[in-house]
Amino acid sequence: MRPLTRAAFLSNLSIAMCGAAFLMAASLLAHPSPRGKPGPAPQQAQKLTASAIQLERTDPPEGLLIPEDTRVSTYENVILQVTKTKKFQHVYRSGDRTAANVPDLVILRLIPQAFKEGSQKQREVTTISGATSIKVKIQFTSRDGKILVEKDLQGKVRFYGENLRATYDLAKKVAAVVNDTF
Amino acid sequence: MKTGSTQIKPGVSSKQREIIRRLLQLVGLLVFAVSVVFVATVASPFSRQLATPQASQSTSIQHVKCVIGLENIKPNTKGTLSLLPTGLEFATDKNKVDISTASIQDIFTGQESRQDISGAGGTLAKTAIPYGGGRIVSLFSHKVEVLTVESVDSNGGYHGTIFVLPAGKATVFRDQLVAEGAKVTTHVQPPEPKEQKP
Repeated sequence: MRPLTRAAFLSNLSIAMCGAAFLMAASLLAHPSPRGKPGPAPQQAQKLTASAIQLERTDPPEGLLIPEDTRVSTYENVILQVTKTKKFQHVYRSGDRTAANVPDLVILRLIPQAFKEGSQKQREVTTISGATSIKVKIQFTSRDGKILVEKDLQGKVRFYGENLRATYDLAKKVAAVVNDTF
Repeated sequence: MKTGSTQIKPGVSSKQREIIRRLLQLVGLLVFAVSVVFVATVASPFSRQLATPQASQSTSIQHVKCVIGLENIKPNTKGTLSLLPTGLEFATDKNKVDISTASIQDIFTGQESRQDISGAGGTLAKTAIPYGGGRIVSLFSHKVEVLTVESVDSNGGYHGTIFVLPAGKATVFRDQLVAEGAKVTTHVQPPEPKEQKP
């Protein structure tokens, strides 16, 4: 192999440095700057306050069939996770008569949007297929029906775990929204 | 025209008879073995069918998993599910929770399959098997039944509870609860989940 001349070496070095600088610039541009980060919506910037929340059950729209165990598991997991946030003095269930006396009650509705039932066996054997997912719209409303916050969330189980784990995933995301909102 | 006469030597014929007798014995043994296997195969479903009504009379099942929904019981706790004259009772070593028949608003049953080896330990074991052997283990599963009970508490608050029982037991529990007076509405059944072959 012929040794490089000084000029050739400098030329190669400059090309390499230019390449490195280009990559660094590209990575900096790709990384969202703190100023460019999309801020929370104006209504969410100011946190809401409420002493109690009631979780209402909502039937899925016509044509969307969701197994009852999935619906029940979603409801119960959301109750558990919202209680864990400790943002409210009381978490009321749907139909609870004692919630009628609470003045600043916030009502949380989970409106099912889509559901795809996967298979645990398929997930574990193939890794890339058989995911279960459930998509819901969550609405925080006041007692008079005014929508305070509305968001679309999706719960998934992709690799390991039973199908109902998607509802746990969804409940954790609902709890995260509760933490951000209240 | 000559007619050929066969001379049977006494020594040869006795040997042939011996061979034929041995062959017949072997064939007999083979037929017997096949029939035993056949009877055993056919008899097992019948015995299961006969055993089911006896099992249905039992009002208590152990190792039932309460997936979620009972207060003071952690999710995925195993215990004994009993059918009492007043309703359902789920008991663990520490706690006992009742769902009264009068409070039950609806009951759903469904079939699912569960992995034979699951949970955190099972998953670790599967991943530890070299050359993707864990995927082969994942192919083994068993059928279970899911019993979903919707009820209301004393304040009218909605509660949903999910139990996982051995196959065939959830329907028995539902029928007995309905016979005791639990409310059940007509359901639109979603299509049975097909066992998708990977």
